[in-house]
Amino acid sequence: MSFDLDLILDSIPQMLMGLGLTLQLLFLSLAIGTALAIILLLMRISGRWFLSAPAMVYIYIFRGTPILVQIFIIYYGLPQLELVRESILWPILREPFGCAIVALSLNTGAYVSEIFRGGVLGVDRGLKEAAAALGLSTRQRFIYITAPIAIRLSLPAYSNDVVSLMKSTALASTITLLDMTGIARTIVAETYAPYEVFLSLMVIYLVLTWMIQRSFGWIEKRMSRHVRSEI
Amino acid sequence: MEVLTGWWDDFFWGSLVVVELFFVALILTVLFGLIGSAAKLSKNRFANAIANGYTIVFRGTPEILVLLLFYFGSAIALTAIAQVFDPEVKFVDFPPFWAGSLAIALIIGSYATETFRGAFLGVDPGQVEAARALGLSNLQTFIYVRIPAMWRLALPPFGNHMLSLIKDTALVAIIGLEETLFVAEQAIGYTAKPFTLYLVVGAIYLGFSTIITLTVMLCEKYANRHLEIAK
Amino acid sequence: MSDNQQDVIVQVENVDKFFGDFQALKAVNLTVARGERVVVCGPSGSGKSTLIRCINRLEAHSSGRILINGHELTDDVKDIDAVRREVGMVFQSFNLFPHLTVVENLMLAPRLVRKTSKAENRELAMKMLARVKIQDQAEKWPSALSGGQQQRVAIARALCMNPEVILFDEPTSALDPEMISEVLDVMIDLAKEGMTMICVTHEMGFARSVADNVVFMDQGEIVETGPPATFFDSPKSDRTRLFLQQILSH
Repeated sequence: MSFDLDLILDSIPQMLMGLGLTLQLLFLSLAIGTALAIILLLMRISGRWFLSAPAMVYIYIFRGTPILVQIFIIYYGLPQLELVRESILWPILREPFGCAIVALSLNTGAYVSEIFRGGVLGVDRGLKEAAAALGLSTRQRFIYITAPIAIRLSLPAYSNDVVSLMKSTALASTITLLDMTGIARTIVAETYAPYEVFLSLMVIYLVLTWMIQRSFGWIEKRMSRHVRSEI
Repeated sequence: MEVLTGWWDDFFWGSLVVVELFFVALILTVLFGLIGSAAKLSKNRFANAIANGYTIVFRGTPEILVLLLFYFGSAIALTAIAQVFDPEVKFVDFPPFWAGSLAIALIIGSYATETFRGAFLGVDPGQVEAARALGLSNLQTFIYVRIPAMWRLALPPFGNHMLSLIKDTALVAIIGLEETLFVAEQAIGYTAKPFTLYLVVGAIYLGFSTIITLTVMLCEKYANRHLEIAK
Repeated sequence: MSDNQQDVIVQVENVDKFFGDFQALKAVNLTVARGERVVVCGPSGSGKSTLIRCINRLEAHSSGRILINGHELTDDVKDIDAVRREVGMVFQSFNLFPHLTVVENLMLAPRLVRKTSKAENRELAMKMLARVKIQDQAEKWPSALSGGQQQRVAIARALCMNPEVILFDEPTSALDPEMISEVLDVMIDLAKEGMTMICVTHEMGFARSVADNVVFMDQGEIVETGPPATFFDSPKSDRTRLFLQQILSH
């Protein structure tokens, strides 16, 4: 078995053309998913059953089923429903890109809301009591005390989720999208050289992962300035 | 629902395949996790390096890429090997079940390595010292003291790994394994009801996740039973 | 102890508190007048912390009435907020906000609750920091301060809200011995300036020198109260005697 270096040098630029799509999928889904997560979190900790119950069911379903199945349901499944075909969302849901964004966002939203919830639970009860004793309202306590600390506590798990999301973007290739993985698969289909192509693709993804982790490491360090004691 | 008549059997067998895949991958995952964490914790620099490389690669690469690489890669490798014995052989197929279980086990095993490593570090060194003082050998200490103590700490995050494992089994359909997604696709060909059918697949997986979650909760209760008196 | 309605800041009438089946407070009655310094003592689990936490609604009393400055404490959020503006609290574990600097810790509540201007808040904050003798640490993070320093900042933070009464929940119990006196000194200064205070503590020296009234609680009830002279030298109840023996024998 020979290692075709030329093939690697040829295919890398081709695969990198899919990087734009990969990054679009990543950032768009991350933004929408995080916004959704905040809404779900507020519903979950609201203390009102008619808000927290639907949120819990949503999270349970989206964390309990494979993301591939979720993608298939949205891309292949929704067009079956007349309701969907006639809705205003149809232009988005008709396109594989739109479906991928929707699926990834809905999925990420569920995971990230649990991550944020973990952060909120990690805030020392004494701090919340001190804020209450000072007269801050529930809303003020959440915004000025709980949220800043919860965000910092959530960062490690959140950065892991961003990496997961990036890996999930590769599944877009199963619904015809030509992200990096999609391009790689077409190259392999033509050249029958899975090692060269897939291994180089793997390296590209590892670089992306490394960049994500470095960025979050930097953010974490900045947010933890006050935690490092000078004693 | 009538659309499903006649397909229940096939879904049942497909689900059985999922269960088989899950258990095979689970055993391998625990194995890889134990070996990996031992390598990371050992003083041998070479073992450390290999284990570090292992976790970095398999945690940073999309699961589907690992699957594709293993499936096509092993097919090519096997074909090459077979051609040495019989030049007439055109293509040897590597059973997707084994390619899939191995790939998934390596992926989840890399997460398990980190989890087990943390759990081993959390074992009270006093217990280990007591065991050695009583005359137990290194191996006996490992089996009878270290592993039970480590297991209690590792259980909650390992429960999450098991959930990831069951969901990743869905990806093996991409490389042709005849499990539930495959059945769904066939059924769609006949019934043209992709939404319903993929929803069934989702429900099957949700069922599996729920069983796993409940089982883990029971195991956690059992593992912590000696602590209840202290409460 | 004057019972003049205008002079009474805290009035606890026949209060019970249940945690599930466990009764933490049994028919507790307490009156605290303006300028009065009350020390509450007792063994662990006696309900002392629960009592003061009911006064600023960190716990909700199960039955009976609690009135702060004539204002009754109920489930109504408006009542609770009004009470918390008048009542300050200092916690055993300081509870300084770790993500804010010392001076920001002090400025937060006046800004959000009293809605005063930033300049006014800063001036007030620096004044309070000077009062507890820690103004040079204003821009530091809480984690950079020692326990004693953090607790003094916590006292200054409570003072910034200009409370009618300050509750102290074992303020020195989490401190290393050499830092206890710096905090007690601040509390003694406050007492001298006429601040009304209810203090749960084991520091009997403080009680003897500063308190107007010492309250002994055991198993959820107030067993005995009295000025320090009578309380320490001629306790009426056997339980009080036993407790004093245990706590003063070091």
